[in-house]
Amino acid sequence: MSKQPLLNILGIMTKLNRLIDISNLPIGVFSIVIYSNRIIFKNNRLLQKTEMSENDSESDLEENPRYHERTLSRSTSRSHSPSGSEAEENNQEEVADEQGPEDENINSEDEYDEDDRPAKKKKKNERFGGFIIDEADVDDEIEEDDDWEDGAGEYGIVANEVDELGPTAREIEGRRRGTNLWDTQNEDEIEEYLRKKYADSSATIKQFGDGGDDMSDEIIQQTLLPGVKDPNLWMVKCRVGDEKNTALLLMRKFFAYQFTDNPLKIKSIVSPESVKGYIYIESYKQTHVKSAIENISSLKMGFWKQLMVPIKEMTDVLKVVKVQTGLRSKQWVRLKKGLYKDDIAQIDYVDLAQNQVHLKLLPRIDYTRPRGALKVSMDLEALKRKKKRRPAAKLFDPEAIRAIGGEVTSDGDFLIFEGNRYSRKGFLYKNFYMNAIITEGVKPTLIEIEIFEDFPEGVDIELTLSNKDNLTNSQTLCSGDNVEVCAGELINLQGKVLSIDGDTVLIMPKHDNLNVPLEFMANELCKFFKQGDHVRVVGGRFEGDTGLIVRVEQNRIVLFSDVTMHELEVLPRDLQLCTDTATGVDSLGQFQWGDLVQLDPQNVGVIVRIEREKMHILNMAGKLVEAKPQSLNKKKEHRNTVGIDGMGNSIQRNEIVKVIDGPHTGLHGEIKHLYRHFAFLYSRLMTDNGGIFVCRLRHIALAGSIKNKLAKSTIQNGFSSPQAVSPRRSDFGQFGTKVSVGIGEETFMGIGGKFGGVRRDIRLIGQTIRITVGPYKGAVGIVKDATECTARVELHSSCQTISVDRRNITIIVQPSNDRRLTSSYSRTPVNALTTPGYREGGKTPVQGLMTPNYEVGNRTPHFGNMTPSHDGSKTPTNAWDPSSGYTPARITYEDLEYPLDSDASYGQSPNTLYSSSVQSYSPYQEISLSGCNSINSFINTPSPIDTDSPRSFYPASSPLVEEYLKDQISKS
Amino acid sequence: MFYHIALEHDVLLHPRYFGPQLLDTVKQKLYREVEGTCTGKYGFVIAVTHIDNIGFGLILPGQGFVVYTVKYKAIVFRPFKGEVLEAVVTQLNKVGMFAEIGPLSCFISHHSIPSELQFCPNTSPPCYKSKEENIAIQPEDTIRLKIVGTRVDASGIFAIGTLMDDYLGLIH
Repeated sequence: MSKQPLLNILGIMTKLNRLIDISNLPIGVFSIVIYSNRIIFKNNRLLQKTEMSENDSESDLEENPRYHERTLSRSTSRSHSPSGSEAEENNQEEVADEQGPEDENINSEDEYDEDDRPAKKKKKNERFGGFIIDEADVDDEIEEDDDWEDGAGEYGIVANEVDELGPTAREIEGRRRGTNLWDTQNEDEIEEYLRKKYADSSATIKQFGDGGDDMSDEIIQQTLLPGVKDPNLWMVKCRVGDEKNTALLLMRKFFAYQFTDNPLKIKSIVSPESVKGYIYIESYKQTHVKSAIENISSLKMGFWKQLMVPIKEMTDVLKVVKVQTGLRSKQWVRLKKGLYKDDIAQIDYVDLAQNQVHLKLLPRIDYTRPRGALKVSMDLEALKRKKKRRPAAKLFDPEAIRAIGGEVTSDGDFLIFEGNRYSRKGFLYKNFYMNAIITEGVKPTLIEIEIFEDFPEGVDIELTLSNKDNLTNSQTLCSGDNVEVCAGELINLQGKVLSIDGDTVLIMPKHDNLNVPLEFMANELCKFFKQGDHVRVVGGRFEGDTGLIVRVEQNRIVLFSDVTMHELEVLPRDLQLCTDTATGVDSLGQFQWGDLVQLDPQNVGVIVRIEREKMHILNMAGKLVEAKPQSLNKKKEHRNTVGIDGMGNSIQRNEIVKVIDGPHTGLHGEIKHLYRHFAFLYSRLMTDNGGIFVCRLRHIALAGSIKNKLAKSTIQNGFSSPQAVSPRRSDFGQFGTKVSVGIGEETFMGIGGKFGGVRRDIRLIGQTIRITVGPYKGAVGIVKDATECTARVELHSSCQTISVDRRNITIIVQPSNDRRLTSSYSRTPVNALTTPGYREGGKTPVQGLMTPNYEVGNRTPHFGNMTPSHDGSKTPTNAWDPSSGYTPARITYEDLEYPLDSDASYGQSPNTLYSSSVQSYSPYQEISLSGCNSINSFINTPSPIDTDSPRSFYPASSPLVEEYLKDQISKS
Repeated sequence: MFYHIALEHDVLLHPRYFGPQLLDTVKQKLYREVEGTCTGKYGFVIAVTHIDNIGFGLILPGQGFVVYTVKYKAIVFRPFKGEVLEAVVTQLNKVGMFAEIGPLSCFISHHSIPSELQFCPNTSPPCYKSKEENIAIQPEDTIRLKIVGTRVDASGIFAIGTLMDDYLGLIH
């Protein structure tokens, strides 16, 4: 039975907790809870009402709360016997008293509730009564303990007071009670006692812990505060600077007197760091303090008067106040008084405890007054007069001192003269009290700085450095940065910068218990980064680079650069969080990442990494060299440099090749540069040097070059394989929206020429011509495409592009040599051939397929087919022009990447549909029929009718084409 | 982490597709334009699972192109900081190793590889192996890694990972 009520209490406690949780009480209710047990119960009871109604539980409590309460109180008090007998009585009385008003309360509630469900409610209310008393019981326990202790005291169990001298009164109490228990009680009782003790505390922890952490903290704080029964703190005046030593001295004195007849009856001595000229002594009585500080010289001043710290202010004594001096070594100060009044000085170090600073300054020594042996007695007058004059400030001169008979001794690095220490450079190093110096707003004049800086000692160099550091530090901090406090008592606290105001920085700490912004000086903060942060380098060698942090160490951060995939080591202060995407440094002056540069007359290299002052260059031997940009020349390259690969194919820039021999065997890469018999390739799979590597030409082979030849033959065989038709080419300019720039048209030309067939005459393209013969005679237009015999002309006058015999045109304006504009049309397809193929190379195994097309493109004389498409992308005329309309049709060719496309969606295989449709429109057929009859081919280009292709699946567009064609024919 | 989410995409269609297969073409174009792409917010679009709605086509004046706003559901793959994933090693060098988690490439710095694993450049292929040689990570091996940071570009996501945690490393 003795355990039962205990469990019940616990049960209620947990129930309460749950209640609190569920009902989401406002904090206000809780604060009442903290301060008064009485109100707690009232509040809780109101709460309980709701829960209990659904929780119909146990037994005897409900039936007979009164009985229960009695047993409980009895059992608890019994556990404290033998000294608890009085307490029991008290207890019961109290319970009874308490019960009175509570009952009334309940009854009134009863009446109120009666209308609804009288019977049930009543029963419950009774039970609540029971609970309330249980709770009250717990409450009583505390008082009871006190009683019990008093009782114990009366019984004389407490030993003599000498034994009690220990760290705190509380501890002693605890120990006393413990020994008492162990001495007088049997095991069961002890067990019972302990169980009770800890059960209670855990219960309270539960109760308040669940409710909210702040509250439980507050409670704990409250209980720890000193009360009237605790000893007082006495403030005793002490010699400044000797506070700590005095405290230690007192401690030794305490130990010395500990076992004598009259031990010191003080409890503790407190000497806070920030308190100057006082120490605190804790004791019950002032006389105890007096006797303790007797005959202590440093406390002589405080012997007659000790101030008692009011109880409320006792906690403030130990509050850590931030040191506000803000004095740092190497700071400039001026002296307030004395010989050196208004002199500039530099702080060597600060001694906060002694309230002193060690200064470095220019000595003022009177070299006119003889010393030592040469000393002569002077008349008083002269002496007085002398005193008024202040010796000039200049560096210490040992020779001059010796000349006037002074004695200079040496102490390590210092010279000593008349008790003062002088550095070898001649500066005086001396201790001054803090109140003797001006620290605020001291600005040394230029001359003063010069004197100090003129004689650089290690200190000075450091000074300039540290100054700079401070400057940069405050400059680079910006709101949103993650910072860590690196000085003061909040050291290691992390936070985020909210705002910066000059030197003060407002940060939001990242801490559970700190949720108000705090202010710090900028120099107290340092940047803080985590692994995985994406950062930008804002200073130092790698300025401008971005990367992900892979490692964070003290004062060193390892980055993984976005662009070059290198690891960089940087200082945290040079970094800044960076949300935008990778940019990195890819250009420096005239140089760009990936440029070919001339290292020396024989050697070239490719820039693979750019730093602030130097560049890393991959040379032809595959070695990385560093060079300054000044020593480099940009290598001019012809756009159509052609090399021969290991298989005898001609290769050029931007083509995809495979490495078949040498160190990089097996890699695929895009040719970035060709130089003599070396090729600089780029591969995404290559991690070194940003993906660029160098190969000999004979170690590489044009990707798909074998298939290439196959394709050639199939084409010659009259297109037996529709696969050979470029699926890739159509990738470019989807609906004429993409614009790409690639290698020059000459390239295209060159190869096209190699295979014979119709040559495109690039000289004419882009020229403005006038038509001299035919229905369009006199019309002016721009040549969009031209062969040796025909030109396609976009008329200025009407939205039309027509084909005209070249004999019938005359050039009227020689366009400026702006190739870019004109050539961009013809450039496009080449790019389309290579670039997308490269990108998607990984996805599709069609690289082989792609390349043959390139070849096809080169050799076929079907430029007419191509031309409209370029036009289409450019001129609004052709947006609806059927001839341009066909070109995009080929887009669907890329369906190769979308195997899904095939039958299901289109109902037909897209291959058949589109390939055939293109064929039917394309001049391929013509080629096979009419060969190089270029005029024909041009005019007929868009016509499916001529060929009467049986495979034409695109009826929708044929009529249009027909019309167009008729139109064209009639025009020409 | 994979998500199945509803997304929207505007499909721009050339007039020549106007015909009976129009909506099919829109769908095809949607698949083509959306699958395999990557956005910073949603990550990689792995596959379109369902097309909810193809809105009314809006013809663009002066061009004849038509815009369809397509609402669809797709499976997306979005890597997160702290996520543990299985990856295939693609490359190893002294700086660290590169691994691929489907479309996501991930770099594991040698700082983030347990120190008992040392890089052996002389073996073929090069690998990271422990002194006892009971663990060796080679290209094509499957490893379990934890993502410690991601870099989201306009067109892709790059991650850095770590093996310095319990249960990370080679999977047998």
